[in-house]
Amino acid sequence: MQDAPSDRDLIIRTLGGDGAAYGLIVERFQRKIYRVAYAIVRDEVEADTITQDTFVQAYTHLAKFQGRSEFETWLTRIAINRSRDLLRRRKFFSLFTRNTDDDSEEIAFDPVDERPDPERETMSVQLRGAITRAESGLSAQQKLIFRLRHYENLSLEEIADHLGLRAGTVRAHLFRAVHKVRKELAGWRNQRGQGSDDENTL
Amino acid sequence: MKTHFSEADLLETYYMQPGESMPVMMHLASCEMCAARYDALERKLRESAACSSHEKPETFWTRQRLMIQRRIDNGRERTTQRGHALRVAAAAVLAFFLGSVFTLKTTEPKQETSVAASSKHAPVAQQAPAAADELQQSHDPWQSDQLSDFHSVVEWESWVDEGKKL
Repeated sequence: MQDAPSDRDLIIRTLGGDGAAYGLIVERFQRKIYRVAYAIVRDEVEADTITQDTFVQAYTHLAKFQGRSEFETWLTRIAINRSRDLLRRRKFFSLFTRNTDDDSEEIAFDPVDERPDPERETMSVQLRGAITRAESGLSAQQKLIFRLRHYENLSLEEIADHLGLRAGTVRAHLFRAVHKVRKELAGWRNQRGQGSDDENTL
Repeated sequence: MKTHFSEADLLETYYMQPGESMPVMMHLASCEMCAARYDALERKLRESAACSSHEKPETFWTRQRLMIQRRIDNGRERTTQRGHALRVAAAAVLAFFLGSVFTLKTTEPKQETSVAASSKHAPVAQQAPAAADELQQSHDPWQSDQLSDFHSVVEWESWVDEGKKL
């Protein structure tokens, strides 16, 4: 059985005019890019758009990719930049609306796993809501770093690499973000703790 | 006495990468209660962070790929059209330029040819005075045939002495 072609091979083939090769690239990375975009913008439609934009932009500038970093890293950077642009736009438009929270959203009750445990699902949704509220108090940079860490489970080094920052800077931002989130979660826990055993909650 | 870590400390450990928080991790290795609390915390946070992308059907990804492909094709087509328009514009500019040059060339040679022609017909022009003299002579009314009858008178008049004339 033939090995899957490397990213570099696919890029060379794409630059040579092989459209199918770029299709393979998209297929290989679209899930990852979508996840990163979703982790930042927290909106499925916008994450989809950002994913498409990312691959179109990458295709347009493919000849400029010099291979200094992994292709996946390059794509992820594009996706992060596009997601940041969207957050900025949201922030800008939020200035003209009543809603001061730039990307607050109704927490939909969608189960995170298949296990039939309603109480657990409810708690998970409530926790998600508490984290979302906590995020609203973070700066743009803190929010971005926190989301990449929390939702995408990227390491500090990976985040630093994607954002072009030093790991120490990322650590400092994340530290401040976690402190703010911690405060919000403490409030949420206290509310819950009034009715239930603390040990079973967060 | 063993000091247990609070959930807040564990939360920081969770986010700031567990492997790097050595005191906490060492404690978790030896304290079942804190380890269980950390596991519960980790599970809840991971669940809360779960993204619905994992549950997306294959049709979603196929549609997304098609959209990307279409946008790339459209972009390429637009680029081709733009290139075509640029080529047409460039051809028009070139045609205009060449037309201008041609027009200039066709007007300049006229002057040159007239000069050249004048230089070419220079001997004729040099001969022209003779012809002109001839014409002049032939057109001299006193020399015309019609006045030949009066030649004697004219000669007579011219024969008159200069002193008498005055």
